[in-house]
Amino acid sequence: MKLTLNSTYLILLVLILLTALTATFANPTYMVPVIMGLSLLKFWTVAFQFMELKNGNVFWKVLIIAFGAFVGLVVILLL
Amino acid sequence: MEINYKSIYYPPGGILIWIVIYLELFTFGMALLAMAYYGSLEREMFHESAQLLNKGIATANTVLLLTSGFFVARGVHFFKGKEWDKAGKFFNISMLFGLAFLLLKLVEYYQKLQAGLDMDHNLFFTFYWFLTAFHWLHVLTGVVILFFVRRSIVKKKENVLLEDVEAGASFWHLCDLIWLLLFPIIYLLF
Repeated sequence: MKLTLNSTYLILLVLILLTALTATFANPTYMVPVIMGLSLLKFWTVAFQFMELKNGNVFWKVLIIAFGAFVGLVVILLL
Repeated sequence: MEINYKSIYYPPGGILIWIVIYLELFTFGMALLAMAYYGSLEREMFHESAQLLNKGIATANTVLLLTSGFFVARGVHFFKGKEWDKAGKFFNISMLFGLAFLLLKLVEYYQKLQAGLDMDHNLFFTFYWFLTAFHWLHVLTGVVILFFVRRSIVKKKENVLLEDVEAGASFWHLCDLIWLLLFPIIYLLF
């Protein structure tokens, strides 16, 4: 568990770094989907690992995935 | 008694906190979609306004909040292992990172107000102030909740219910989740 939390934290830091790099250097055409994709990865990682939703009922898992996907998709389509 | 997390009625932290979490996510989510919608109508104004925000501070705040969430998760882990003192220590560290987030955000707010970028400046800044200030209040509430959870752990030790600790931690992680949606949309995408 300790190792999982440590590696999760490390992954989140790498994702933050990738987001910052994308925002600074990426082609504007791909910026919105890439940044939203990275942000949703962080969002789901926190929910499943830190909040331990991975141990929960499938209903709660599907709900958090569907919510993130819906918000992400609409933002990508709008922007 | 062992909690059956696989039951739909017992998600980690309890069903009530998860109902709160989804209501909060829905509220912030709809507001962010409204911001994205208006941003798509007035791209130039939203782009110019977003350039006035400090992305460095926002990125640092993301690291602070996620680091705090990491320490809360570790704290819950130690609580489950009946290591009360370690759990209390990790909750303390977590609160420090939470307070650092709140202070850094106040620095950002001060800079914006000094530059005359208040809520009435334009529609972008109306969304900026409403969403980030509402989130700031959630983080403040989260720090208070962590304080009481930590106090219970240190004082009552094995008499504290795991559900209560998990519910407090879940509220704190909710602040992470909201920020992980606010940060890209407000600071990076326009």
